[in-house]
Parts: sequence; C-alpha cells; structure tokens
Amino acid sequence: MDIDLIDETDFPNYSKSTGKRPAFVPVDDAHPFDLEAYISTYTGKTVVYRLIHIISICPTLAPQAFQLAVQHILQGRDPNLYQSLIIAYDTTAKTLPDAELPPHTDLAVIDQQWIDETNTKNQAERSKLEVELKTYTSNMIKESIRMAHRDLGNFYRSVGDYSSSLKHYTKSREFCTSSQHIVDMCMSVLELLLEQRNYAHIATYVFKADGALENAAARSNAAPNAAQAATLPPDAQQVAKAKAAAERERVQTKLDVATALSHLAQGAYEKAAQSFLKAGPIKNLEEWATKIVAPGDIAIYATLSALATFSRSAIKSNLLDNDSFGVYIEQEPYVRELVEAYMGNRFKTVLELLERYSTRHYIDLYLSTHVNNLVLEIQSRALVLYFQPFASIKMDRMSQAFGWTPEFLEQQVVHLIQKGEIHARVDRQNRILKAKVVDQRAELFSRAVKSGADIQSTNRKLLLRMRLQQSDLIVKPPKNQNQNQNHIDFLAYSVVI
Amino acid sequence: MNQPGSSTATGTATTDVTTLDQIYQEILTSTDPAALRDKLQSAARNEKEVILSRPLSNGQDPLAILDPETHTLGCLYILCARLAPNATYPPSLVVIEEFCKRFTPEHARLAPDRMTALAKGITRVALSSNNLKYALSPLYYLVTRYPPNLSILTTLHSHYLTTCVTLRHFTAALPILSVPITNVDLRISDLTYNDNLVYHYAGGVALAALKRWHEAEEFFEICATAPGTAPAAIQYEALKKLTLVQLILYGKTKQTPKYTHAILTRLLKSSPYGNLARAYPLPTDQLTKQIQKDAEVFNTEKNWGLVQQVIDHAPRWLIHKLTSTYLTLGLADIAREIGSASQDEVRATIVSMIETGDINASISVDGTVTFSDPVFNVTKSDIDSALHHAQAQSRLLLDLERTLTSSKEYLAKALKHKDNDGWGPDDDNDGLGGPPSSFAWGDYL
Repeated sequence: MDIDLIDETDFPNYSKSTGKRPAFVPVDDAHPFDLEAYISTYTGKTVVYRLIHIISICPTLAPQAFQLAVQHILQGRDPNLYQSLIIAYDTTAKTLPDAELPPHTDLAVIDQQWIDETNTKNQAERSKLEVELKTYTSNMIKESIRMAHRDLGNFYRSVGDYSSSLKHYTKSREFCTSSQHIVDMCMSVLELLLEQRNYAHIATYVFKADGALENAAARSNAAPNAAQAATLPPDAQQVAKAKAAAERERVQTKLDVATALSHLAQGAYEKAAQSFLKAGPIKNLEEWATKIVAPGDIAIYATLSALATFSRSAIKSNLLDNDSFGVYIEQEPYVRELVEAYMGNRFKTVLELLERYSTRHYIDLYLSTHVNNLVLEIQSRALVLYFQPFASIKMDRMSQAFGWTPEFLEQQVVHLIQKGEIHARVDRQNRILKAKVVDQRAELFSRAVKSGADIQSTNRKLLLRMRLQQSDLIVKPPKNQNQNQNHIDFLAYSVVI
Repeated sequence: MNQPGSSTATGTATTDVTTLDQIYQEILTSTDPAALRDKLQSAARNEKEVILSRPLSNGQDPLAILDPETHTLGCLYILCARLAPNATYPPSLVVIEEFCKRFTPEHARLAPDRMTALAKGITRVALSSNNLKYALSPLYYLVTRYPPNLSILTTLHSHYLTTCVTLRHFTAALPILSVPITNVDLRISDLTYNDNLVYHYAGGVALAALKRWHEAEEFFEICATAPGTAPAAIQYEALKKLTLVQLILYGKTKQTPKYTHAILTRLLKSSPYGNLARAYPLPTDQLTKQIQKDAEVFNTEKNWGLVQQVIDHAPRWLIHKLTSTYLTLGLADIAREIGSASQDEVRATIVSMIETGDINASISVDGTVTFSDPVFNVTKSDIDSALHHAQAQSRLLLDLERTLTSSKEYLAKALKHKDNDGWGPDDDNDGLGGPPSSFAWGDYL
C-alpha cells in the first residue's frame, strides 16, 4: 500500500472540490492538456461548441480556442455561431480581468463578407428546398416528400435553426414507408438532440428507433420463411439474417450511447455507466465518433460513472473483463490506470489521477457539470471501501493512504458517518476511527419494548378516534368562523408557557 | 307568568306544574328520577326558568331546604335556572360547592345538558365576581364525580381544563389528564366536537407548561388529528405546538399520522414552524438568526415561550448528534461544533444530559469527553410488565372485535356483502386500526 506523503501544496485542490465546480480550470504542468490534439479528434459543429465551452471555463486556452473556432466556423455555414463565440469570449474576459485576455478583434477579424455570402447562399438553398418540398407535396410522391423533409431538416440543422430542423425531421415520419426510414429519422433526430444538448426527449426517440428495428428484424425473418422460402437458397437466407443483425448492432451502439448520454446528463450515473458499457465496437459509432463523442470520451464517461456507482465486482465483470469496452479504454490509457489503481486499493493514485485529468474532464462538453459529483462519489466510495476490513484504524495512516491532510480526511469521514455510509465513530483524542459494534440482543429488546409502547399509544388514539367517529363528533366546516376563532384567542392568551 | 305552558311543553309531563311550590312538592315526593326529569324539563322550558329561579312562596330558598344528595335533579334544575345569565338571584358559592360535592351522579346523568349549563354558569358567576379561582373546586368535583369513570369524555372535562389553563393552575389538571380519554358517550354528556378539541388542546398546553413533553405530545396530536371533514383553527394551533414539542423531545419532527388532515400538514410546512423544524438543530446563534424574521409571528401566536425552549434545547441535540459520530471529543471541539462560546456552558450541558440519561458519556480531567453507547438494561420485571400490557391490549382488542362483530350495523352490512359477492366483510375492518386478521369474523357470527 502506498503510504507516501504528498506535498502540502496539493491539498487546496482537493478541498476545493467539495464545493460547486470551479468557475475556471487551470492548464499547467500538474494539469496537462493539449487543445490541438483534443480538438482534432472531432469534426463538424461539435468542434465549435466544444471550443466555446472551453473558452467559457478555461481562460488560459481561450485565445487559442477562439482562433481555432473561427477557422471552423468559416468551414461551416452557420454565421450565428460567430455571435455566440464572441459573447462567450467576452464574458470570460470580463469575469476574469486578471487573465488579461487580448480583445477578440486582435485574434481574428470577423469576415463580414463571408457572413453575407453565407447568408445569401443559405437563403437560396432554403428557397430551393422549400420549392422542392412543395412540388413533391402537390405530386403526392411519398418517398420524395420524405426526402425533401429530411433535406430541409439537414439544412436547418447545418445553419443552426434547431427547432425548424426538428419540425421537419418529425414531419418526415408521416411519410416513412419502411422501418429503415423510421430508424434513419430517429437517428437524425437523436444526433440533433445530442448536438443541441436537449436530453429530455432522447429516451423517446431511442424507444421509437428500437421499435422500428424490432419491426425490421421481424420482417426480414418472416419474409424468407413465407413467400421466398422456396425460391431463395438457404445461403441467401442466412445472409439476409446476418445483414439484419449487423444493421441492428450498428444502430444499437449509437442508441446505447445516446441513452447513456441522456442518463449522464440527468445525473443517473449508474444507468449511464450500464448503457455506456453495453456499447458495441467503435466502428459502429461511424460518424458519431467524431461528430458527437469520441470513443475516448465514452471511455472516460463510462469509467467515472462506473467507479462512482458500481460495486467492485460489477466494475470487474462489466468494465475490466469487457472485451468490447477494452477497445474504448485503449483510447485513453490513463483510464485503465485509474481503474486498476481503484481495484488495487491505491486510492491515492486514483485521486491524483482524477486531479491530474480534472481539466480534461471539466473541458468536456457533456461531462463538465458532473465531474464534481462523480469525483465526490468516487472519493466516498473509496473511503468506505478502504475502511471496510478494519475494526479500527489510525486516522493518520488513512490520511496517508489517501494523500490528504488528517483534518480534511476527518471532515470527509465525519460526513460519511453522518450520511450513514460508514458505520464507525471517530476517536478525536486518539485519532482513531473505530467501527461501531452493535449489541444485537440489547437492540432487539429495546426495539421490542419501544414498539410495544408505541402500539399501545397508537391503539389508544385510534380507539378514541373510532369512538369519536361513531358518535359523529367530527370536525365540520364551521357555520361561522368567529366562534372558533374566539376559542383560540381565549386559549392563546393564557398559553405563554 | 303563572300561565299554564302546556301548549309548548312536550313529553309526559305536560301538566299543571305551574308554580315553584308545586314543583317543590314534586321534587320532594317523586320517586322516579326519570319522570321527575321530564317534569322539570318541561318546567324549565319556555322561559319558565324564571319560575325555578324564584324563592318559594313562603320566602324560603328552595336550595337551602333541598338536600343535594336525595334531590339531585331538583337542585340541579334550580341551580341552573339561578345561574342563567339574566337571573336576578344567583346562588351563593357555598351552595354551589355543596351541591357539587354531594350530588348523586346517577341522577344527574339523566340531565346532561343541565350539567353543561351548570358548569358554564359556575364559570360565569366566578368570572363576574372577578375571581375565576372560585370555579376551580366546584368544577373539579363535577368532573371527577359526574362521569362513571374519567376515561369518558364529558363537556365538564373541557370546562375544567380551560379554567385550569386560564388560571395557570396546571397541576390542578393533572389528576384528570393522567387518565387518557378512550370513551365517548353522548348519553352521558351533550358533547360537540369542539369539546374534544378544546380538552386535548388545553391538556396539551397544561402538560407542556409542566414540561411533560411526552404526554403533551400525545394530547396535541389527538387534537391535531381529530377526525373531521374540515380542519378547525384550533387543530392548526395544536399542530404548531406539536411541532415545537417534538423538536424539544426528539430534536426533529415526527411524521404525523396519515389520517391527519392534508390541509393542516400543508399549511404547517410553509409556516415559520415548518421552517424552524427544517433548520433544527443548528448552533444557537444561527438558529436565533434564522427565526429572527419570524419572531413576530411566534410572539403574536403566543408560542414564543415554547420556541425559546426549542432553541435552548438545540445544543443538546447537536451534542446528541455528535455521539453517533465521535467516540471522544475535547470540550473545546464540542463548543465549536455547537457554536457555544464557553466550555463551561458546554460542560454544564453535557453534565445535565448525562444526568437525565440522554447520553452516556464521561468527562475526564483534561476536558476530554468520551461517549459510549447508551446502555439499555431490561430487567425481568420490565419484560413481564411489557408482556402484561401487551396481553391486556390484545384482550381489549378482542373484546372490541367481539362487540363490533356482533353489532347490528356490522351484521347487516356483512350479510349484505355476503349476498352480493360472497365473502367480502374484510372492508369493514378498516376503521379498527387493524385487528389481527386471524380473528375471522365468521367465528362470532
């Protein structure tokens, strides 16, 4: 067991984590973070969103992030992003004058011409798509109408008008003719919701997609059996089945990830961890791997949620022995280190790792607001696990194992005792934590006697109540309120006890 | 005034009792109290109380000649008439007390409404002579002698209790309060729901004033949870006091029984009392700050004294909490935890808590407090008495079950159920608070 003391200077970082999440996160030697490498794993609009998030919580990286964001905005076609970017940057600059951020105009010039051009182009494309939709609608070609709606949805999404986009996507549902179409529609909507970070409806669309998949599978199974059974060779049947299964698996991974993200966002960490750990191979994520969440992110989310909520054996069977998830963990090597340290009871290492990568966690778009809760949970679990085998332990030794000051450790332990998670008591004078011993016999007697007395008095009260009801002496709405009031005034004046 | 009143009089005695002398004769000669009651009733009706409140034709005071023991009813009616608000000729306190001491309860029970009126009259007379104290002892005799036993609620109960509380003679109420009310009989006393509420509220107040928190809690709870279709204001007051008493007693509020009126609990939650209960226990200075803005409310509702005691108890509950977390603590640490300035104060509090048995601890010379688990000792006799109680309790319930299952209403209902859908009498057990289901109703049918 690692019992080295670590430097005093590190303590403030831990104690800070008991409060809300820090407004700003540092990037330095103790908290390394490479923005270029991080952002290069993503494509599409999520890059800009992530950069904006970074600007708002990490002033050190803000200028660099700003420049990167501008580059990416120019590749896209949503001029509004410019605005949100500048607002985020200015807010950070204003709330943190010490950081001396250069004004955004020094970093990148806003390309007004590009904005105008993009706006015109967007306008033109929108008219084109709408005209198409109208034509198809009047011709009543179902499939074309669906595609027109889908295209409009895609278009609105790319220019950042999410509500219109959602409207068109959902509209296209009416014109879906096959389960495949419904699945496609659901996936588009899910992508949209995740991008928008609107988690409330995710479960609905996951459910719908699930239903559609079920349908498709049933059909592909049924079809060969009935009409085509005779005509198709057995091989082809096999192929068809395998294809359906593969399709299902492909979509299922995405659905799992979407569900997990919505659980995570709602603070249901245990469910989130379960869903994340169900996810299939990375290649099934397809474009989501860069457009929504990187596989490395998934590894982090899953591991943190699992550490915070799973029992040791569950972590072992679901996380460490899970081959398909191992691939995700490969993406972020420190995650494996973290889990192994946790399983090996090297809690100091766990906490150090968590602290070291805290910037990485806080900077993440989906994880940011939950880092604090998760870390606290992991801390508590670690403390509980650590104490479990002992009947009593010196607090100094315990604090060394966690790399905390004894005061901070005591504070944490006391908190857990009061929450009822550790059944022990602190001997402040001798600095010992002692497990509680319950005398079951005495406990039983006292409980029996107490419940006997309780039942007697309850019975008495109920009997009176029954008698009152039998005699119809029940409180009725007063005919005039004053009478009642008088009684109280009369009593109240005499009642200064 | 001497007109026959037969047109309005009811009952058997519609007859010719028109003057007090006649009535007096009736009283003297009657052997059947019930018939006499009817006669007096008709005489007392229709403003004829005036007749009853006069002296006899020969100038004698009927109360002086009648013996309260043998002529209870006569005396009672005459006393009531004389005590009426507009009566010109009030009886002396000596006479009243004499009557209260010596009346025959069995006879008096024939005229419950007169007893209520008598109690009211006594209070009024005492108040008008500016000395409510005079009412105390006659009322005490009434309340102890009138009901067959003290567990039966009467209007006298609530009268006596309000008088005691108003006078702040709390100990005088104890003999009455020590017998819990379990019975209600409308034939013995013309009760209203208010009598029940007032009795238990005033009882709770008296017990709380005497710092008998456990009993006070029960009284307030009975008042606050009395059955009803609408909550009464006094129930809300009782609930407020119940909250405060529970804070003193347990350091937190207990959940009220589920039959409490929903409006009451909702009201309480958003009231200053609810806020206090949520914040409790905090170090004294924080707590005081917390309730500062509500001080006005507590004051006007006359609960300031209780609130103050709640605050005084806060350090004790904080220390109590510490015992489950710590084995040893320095006095200084405790002082810091409970926000107390001086260690001496903390020492005094702890010593008093040890004395009262709230905690099990010892203080060493250097100011270290060692908490140990509360020792729970049950002796053989404790267990025996607990078992006796349990047996008595189950006997009581069994009896109740028997009477209930043999009652007319129940049988009618059960048979109806049986006709309708086979065996469905279980619904009828609802009001009983769960008699053991093994007592199948059919056994007694």
